Amino acid sequence: MADLKKLYDAILNGDQKTAIAVTEAALAEKVDPQSLINEAMIPAMNEAGSKFECEEYFVPELLLAARAMKGSLALIRPLLAAAGAEPVGRVIIGTVKGDLHDIGKNLVASMLEGGGFEVIDLGADVAVDKFVAAVKERNPHLICMSALLTVTMPAMKTTIQALREAGVRENVKVMVGGAPVTAEYASEIGADGYADNASAAVRKARELVAA
Amino acid sequence: MRLKLIACEILYRELCASLARSPHQIDVEFLPKGLHDIGGAGMRDRLQAVVDRVDESLYSAVLLGYALCGMGLAGLTARGIPLVLPRGHDCITLFLGSRERYMEYFTGNPGVYFKTTGWIERGKDLDQLGPDSFYRKTGLGLTYEEMVEKYGEENAQYLWDQIGGYTRNYGKLTFIEMGVEPDDRFERHTEREAVERGMGYQKITGDMRLIHRLVNGEWNDEFLVVPPGCRVAASHDDGVIRSEKSS
Repeated sequence: MADLKKLYDAILNGDQKTAIAVTEAALAEKVDPQSLINEAMIPAMNEAGSKFECEEYFVPELLLAARAMKGSLALIRPLLAAAGAEPVGRVIIGTVKGDLHDIGKNLVASMLEGGGFEVIDLGADVAVDKFVAAVKERNPHLICMSALLTVTMPAMKTTIQALREAGVRENVKVMVGGAPVTAEYASEIGADGYADNASAAVRKARELVAA
Repeated sequence: MRLKLIACEILYRELCASLARSPHQIDVEFLPKGLHDIGGAGMRDRLQAVVDRVDESLYSAVLLGYALCGMGLAGLTARGIPLVLPRGHDCITLFLGSRERYMEYFTGNPGVYFKTTGWIERGKDLDQLGPDSFYRKTGLGLTYEEMVEKYGEENAQYLWDQIGGYTRNYGKLTFIEMGVEPDDRFERHTEREAVERGMGYQKITGDMRLIHRLVNGEWNDEFLVVPPGCRVAASHDDGVIRSEKSS
């Protein structure tokens, strides 16, 4: 019998080795992969996110939980794909032009992957054209941009304008974040969403993709 | 005029040099450097508490030796007398003398990290912020050794790769010489650090003009004067900040 509690604990505690071992054992026992996700993995990530928001978990704990989740997902995903199940959504992520601060972006990317999204990480200091080209080529559901400096924040607005001019703005949702970014700014520049931490970003991403 | 100046200690030497020659009588209060690191709202609350303690019967205005500072000034409210601050994203505007020069240098030098006397000698990194520090609070400020101790070698390698060292993407250290340095010790310090970290190094000459204008009362359109009952807001345009009615 698959030990869902053990899988839940392994993810919550950021123990990737155990998470992978338990997942392998469960799959060998022909446990329904979707039930592993729904009954152990997602609840564990939700709990890690809530511990983070209560400041009981720090960024490292959250990242390790996301990595354990990714380890299990890597085993499960091919089975789901074979059964015709799609990832929750496809996301393009990067820090905006001129901004080299990528720690927050890496954390959000990791959490989104842990949340079942397919993540295409364009890295740091991403030019407007590169965002637009990636949207055209990869057809994502969502694009996420971050900035740490108020100096570089206007590049978010420029990127949204460029998406509009390229005729692809309506094909994709836009979420923004980063220390100086606010919900007001997000709505002022015509973004669809904003989140002020990595855990909230996953919730918001799910909401935007489902809308 | 008698003025009150509340300033970040990163500008300590520059402001002291400028204050000595101001035509006005200015009382100054320096606050710890790096307050932006406690987050926009936290920084604003700390500054507001200091502004609210000012005896307004003594002064014509409160000068702020700050800029927008990562939204740390957004929401700061003028009570009974005006607040005056330079229009700029952060202190580099004050060191370089104008927004235009800052933007030009920033755009031409991606990944630059600036050093001045204040950054080097005032406080040790951001330790003085204590538990309020964002990096401390989130666990982002851990060194590799601390990560190994807390999470084990294998996890630490992964974590360091993802979030280690917030300055890791910087490629260049630039020392801004303001003309208030006693000798070349700060410049050498920066150059040595650049070599140790395998980064590029450049020394540029700063410009005291905005600092002088602030303390001399020459508040042209490079400054924002926030009238009583109004607060600082980000304008997200070339003017950087504006004032708005405090609700």
